[in-house]
Amino acid sequence: MDGAPTTLLDISGLSVEFSGGGRTARVLNDVALTVAANETLGIVGESGCGKSMTALAILRLVPSPPGRITGGRIVFGGEDLLQAPEQRLRDVRGHRIGMIFQEPMTSLNPVLTIGDQLSETLIKHLKLDARAARARSIELLKAVGIPAPERRVDEYPHQLSGGMRQRVMIAMAIGCEPQLLIADEPTTALDVTVQAQIFELLRELRARSGMGLILITHDMGVIAEMTDRVAVMYGGRVVEEAPTADILSAPAHPYTRGLIACVPDLDAEEDSGADLLEIAGMVPSVWDLPKGCPFADRCAEAMPRCVAEMPPTSVLSAGHRVACWLQEGTGP
Amino acid sequence: MSAPLVSVRDLAVHFARPHFSPLKPRETVRAVDGVSFDVAKGTTLGIVGESGSGKTTVARGLLRLVPVTSGRIVLGGTDITALGGEEMRQMRRHMQYIFQDPYSSLNPRVRAGTIVRSPLDVLGIGTPAEREARVAELFAAVGLRPESQHLFPHQFSGGQRQRINIARALAPAPDLLVCDEPVSALDVAIRAQILNLLQQLKRRLGITYLFISHDMAVVKHVADEVAVMYLGQIVERAPRTAFFARPLHPYSVALMSAVPTVRGGRERAARRIRLTGDPPSPIDPPPGCRFAARCPVAEPACRQTMPELREMASGQWVRCHRVEVVGGTIRRPLD
Repeated sequence: MDGAPTTLLDISGLSVEFSGGGRTARVLNDVALTVAANETLGIVGESGCGKSMTALAILRLVPSPPGRITGGRIVFGGEDLLQAPEQRLRDVRGHRIGMIFQEPMTSLNPVLTIGDQLSETLIKHLKLDARAARARSIELLKAVGIPAPERRVDEYPHQLSGGMRQRVMIAMAIGCEPQLLIADEPTTALDVTVQAQIFELLRELRARSGMGLILITHDMGVIAEMTDRVAVMYGGRVVEEAPTADILSAPAHPYTRGLIACVPDLDAEEDSGADLLEIAGMVPSVWDLPKGCPFADRCAEAMPRCVAEMPPTSVLSAGHRVACWLQEGTGP
Repeated sequence: MSAPLVSVRDLAVHFARPHFSPLKPRETVRAVDGVSFDVAKGTTLGIVGESGSGKTTVARGLLRLVPVTSGRIVLGGTDITALGGEEMRQMRRHMQYIFQDPYSSLNPRVRAGTIVRSPLDVLGIGTPAEREARVAELFAAVGLRPESQHLFPHQFSGGQRQRINIARALAPAPDLLVCDEPVSALDVAIRAQILNLLQQLKRRLGITYLFISHDMAVVKHVADEVAVMYLGQIVERAPRTAFFARPLHPYSVALMSAVPTVRGGRERAARRIRLTGDPPSPIDPPPGCRFAARCPVAEPACRQTMPELREMASGQWVRCHRVEVVGGTIRRPLD
């Protein structure tokens, strides 16, 4: 992904606040990310670190109230989505940017057939008539590997397995051939053999259409297999970002190192059952973020400075940046 | 190997489906269909498989939490298959269960200390003073602060709640602890804390575990022996090292290859054995090998006769027609 690929999405300075009970929580803080065409960006971190919120903010779907996008720019196709009128966003959502949500069980409407739900976006965005939309729905179901699509198109979500429902979600998300697809933990609820099928499908789609893909996950194995670049999020910030190969071979942030080391390694020659590396404690509450580095209280290498001051972002090498006092000034 | 703590033979758990039409025959879900295994004292048997393979039902059947259709369950020399009433209740102090979801398995209206004490109260173990002391000891053992006994479940994080679950299961000093996906609902960074705690308890107290997980890497980390389930049956059972070095059943191989790993990355994905479709329904399982419909190396014979679980090498059992021993070495169909 070197050279100058077309930047599809350019997020800078994105901040989101939630308020309630007279208090304010910064759930996203100065987030900057880019995605190029034909590139997969992974976003990794624990729950509550801002991964899904970033995805929602891109489509301006942050629940409001209590949430509010307080600053930043989200430039997609040369246009700042944060400044665009609501009417304009309707053309972007589900059309130029597709989204796959985590829960295939709850993201489909149980009282409408698969075909109805697929056709809706096609009729709305591509101005197809009902007959053409149905034909296209069947094509889409076939494209995502659902057997007997002519029959499935008239079935209801409860008649499909979890893996099939997730395929329907994908079919819906790619129906209008989006330039960017956001997949928020698309396989977390699925078995690994089905996950492998879904990943295969996403790789094929990307290769065929050249779309950009944002893949949100908590699994470093998935990051290694699927992504070109990774952003590690913690406490509503991007704490490290780098090409995938760099981050896996030389993770710079202690949190990134922890995420890689805290899971058992299936590739290990022999697992002695010795204690795994623990990341002590838990993710800080967004209502109670410290003024220094958000990871400081869980970090084994924390220094007094980490608690007192937010670390600046340093650039370690081309495309590898990290926000950690340990790395300050070590870059080129 | 000394006498096993747990011995299960031909366990079957079938459920009758709700009857909708008097014209159609009543359907039976064969959730567990002829499962046998032993677990030696102080060791961990890991059961892996996909959702719907019957892992949880094996655990529930073993603890007699669901009616057992047939088979025999022996715990510490006592046949518990047909025990009833008070006798069964007293056996329960020897076998406890850790549930998957730390959110729904704790009563939100009961304080943590009371939750942990409840098995002692129910089973009538110790005097009130002894119970108090035991609860304090358990809180320390699982790494919870003593003063947190007075808090309610919602005041704890997911990882802490799982510690309460573990403390409650440990309360009657059981010999067998059944852990049903104990870390699946937890955040990745918290999983290590709970896995380490379970491993420490095993070393310190000599507890025997039945550890159910869909996560191959977790099973590799905790188990001494591994059983792979598919559609209600064990398709492979082997010691940990032998299994992970060279799984024999095509399903085990495919399942392992499907796991994305940090080191494997894209190359691993490219070498992956692709399985198509979903597992068939346990309502009307196919007559032959249950994996045949998805198996990349199935032959016509596989669809007709059900393979037996055969011992291919010491302790390595496999249910596949196509695995064979040729000249002293085991040949796998996917080699």
